[in-house]
Amino acid sequence: MSLLPSINRFIRHIQRFKGWFGGAAALCLITGMYLGLITSPPDYYQGEIVRIMYVHVPLAHTALFGYTVLFVGSLWYLWKRDPLIDNMCHAAAGMSAAFTAVALVTGSIWAKPTWNTWWTWDPKLVSFAVLLMILAGYLMLRTMVEDPEQEGRYAAVLAIVGGLDLPIIYFAAEWWRTLHQPLSISLRGVSISGDILLPLSIMSIGFTLLFTYMLMIRTQMLYLVNLFDAKKGRLLSQVHLSKVGQ
Amino acid sequence: MTFLKVIQWVVWKDLITEIRSRETLSSMLFFAMIVILVFSFSFSMDQDAVRELIAGIIWVAFAFTGIIGLGKSFTVELHNDCLEYLQLSPAPKGAIYLGKMTANLLFMLTVEILLFPLFVLFFNLDVVEEIGLLLLIFFLATLGLSAVGTLFSALTVQIRAREVMLPVLLLPLAVPVMIAAVEATRGALNGAPLSLYSQWLELLIIFNVIFTVASFWLFELILDS
Amino acid sequence: MITIQSVQLSKSYGFYKIFEDLSFSIPAGECFALFGPNGAGKTTLLQVLATLTRPTSGRFEILGYDGITEKPAIRNSVMVLAHGSYLYDDLNAVENIQFASALRGKSPTFQEITRALDFVNIGAFRDLKIRFFSAGMKKRLGLAKVFLIQPKVLFLDEPYNALDDAGVGITNDLIRDLLKKGGTAFMTTHDRIKATQVASQTGILRQGTLHPFNLESQTTNDLS
Repeated sequence: MSLLPSINRFIRHIQRFKGWFGGAAALCLITGMYLGLITSPPDYYQGEIVRIMYVHVPLAHTALFGYTVLFVGSLWYLWKRDPLIDNMCHAAAGMSAAFTAVALVTGSIWAKPTWNTWWTWDPKLVSFAVLLMILAGYLMLRTMVEDPEQEGRYAAVLAIVGGLDLPIIYFAAEWWRTLHQPLSISLRGVSISGDILLPLSIMSIGFTLLFTYMLMIRTQMLYLVNLFDAKKGRLLSQVHLSKVGQ
Repeated sequence: MTFLKVIQWVVWKDLITEIRSRETLSSMLFFAMIVILVFSFSFSMDQDAVRELIAGIIWVAFAFTGIIGLGKSFTVELHNDCLEYLQLSPAPKGAIYLGKMTANLLFMLTVEILLFPLFVLFFNLDVVEEIGLLLLIFFLATLGLSAVGTLFSALTVQIRAREVMLPVLLLPLAVPVMIAAVEATRGALNGAPLSLYSQWLELLIIFNVIFTVASFWLFELILDS
Repeated sequence: MITIQSVQLSKSYGFYKIFEDLSFSIPAGECFALFGPNGAGKTTLLQVLATLTRPTSGRFEILGYDGITEKPAIRNSVMVLAHGSYLYDDLNAVENIQFASALRGKSPTFQEITRALDFVNIGAFRDLKIRFFSAGMKKRLGLAKVFLIQPKVLFLDEPYNALDDAGVGITNDLIRDLLKKGGTAFMTTHDRIKATQVASQTGILRQGTLHPFNLESQTTNDLS
């Protein structure tokens, strides 16, 4: 119980600095874009097309980072039952879903010229598609429960089961692919030089900061919506209770 | 001791109710037969195509019939508020989960064992040598479906749109089970050596261990606040 | 000795406050009857105290056990007779009692079950599926469970609904017997006359707060 107010205060405290996160994210993303799109060399095989990687790979990493936040947050919520943590999980899930969706689309755009297909049953693609379905189910589940306490509890259970499942899904898809598809043209195995690595990591940091920035805004938003509902409820229930008595 | 007794009584209750009403099994069987018929009409398959596709067809049929059974597993508890009694009883919730899961496993396996001869008959399968192995695969994969499915059946029964939400939540999570079950079944049906697909059985065992334990603990949070 | 102790208990569903800051205590050996108009939150209060629903804020203790952290201990000594009969349609009376007792870690003999069914006068129907039971018979079967399990605390939600006069008599006999053994009962009801036969404490839940309620001096108007 003693940890709860301090964590709550920590979240409130850090919220005040969210502008710094946004600024740092913008700085990283602009630098990363410049390095990735202009100064880094085109790929020997893929030419200029490879530059979409600087968006696609960091997006995918950030989506997984988002699920990690969701997973840890869900365990935490079940332990402490703090509605603010529940709001954070809700926010993390929604944004993780958005990042996953964009990562899938950019991956698809990248796959067309390089693999000559919009979609291939690559284990990473399969895992991300399943991840998107789990997150969509999660967000859908949240709209299907009346009681906010029950909603948070059920959503947390789903997030935990999904989090345990994701590595297994990845391994299953990986084994499945080695059975059915000879390795298609892939970046794996190509040694990654510093020219690529630097903009890639700067973009990854930038997207993670952007995610954190958006997470803070969204958490605050959901928290305020709940607060508004509670205030509205206090007014409404006064009306409601006075009517019941008649 | 009470723990085992509770599991035993929950299984007994589900079985005896089912034997008397025959609601779940008959709807599962009927649905599965329609699935088989639809599949045999939709693909006009030669023997080679059957070898390639039959494992997938079998598991699509099993998974969807399984979902019907799993969905019914907790809707029967809504009548007369029996779910409330399960929640209010001092019995360990984990024991109730294991009982429900065992009953679901038994229902699903029963349907699978009744249906499999139909597949053999309609699609001209040769199963005599591998039948023991096939039953093992059925058991392991169905256990996986039932382990996660029972948890989500208890969850979705308490929310809106429960018939839709059970497959929406369950199927993505069951992807590893489905891949492993299809691959292992295909291997066994094609008479491939066990070493080529034993990794899928290992995957099923790992999945089952992880999700039986996880659901065992999480079930309390579903049934109880 | 205090059996049920509630401290600033509140419950809201979403933005509807059902009740707020309820503090009261019920000593052992007493029966508390809760009145109140429809929609006042009587059943919700009973569900919170019976550990079925988590309170939004506040805390409560039953038999000294905390209502949120020590639920299993509370559930061991508490029984609830609610609107739902908690019976399975395809099991007969005896099987239903066996199952319900098994979940409470008890295994009564066939003779004990028969005695309980005879006590509530439905011994003749002991092999009949619940599907064919009337509402009153289901209520009596619930009373038989109480007779058999002998809980320390009993929660009753509208216990007199659907019961005939003899059934009401059995209910009140059971409650009196429970109180004599030092047990405690908590009921919600609209039936003042039947409730006064057993209730020693009464209250009325209205506009989210609990008012003391004197059975003798108030008129029927105050109830609704």
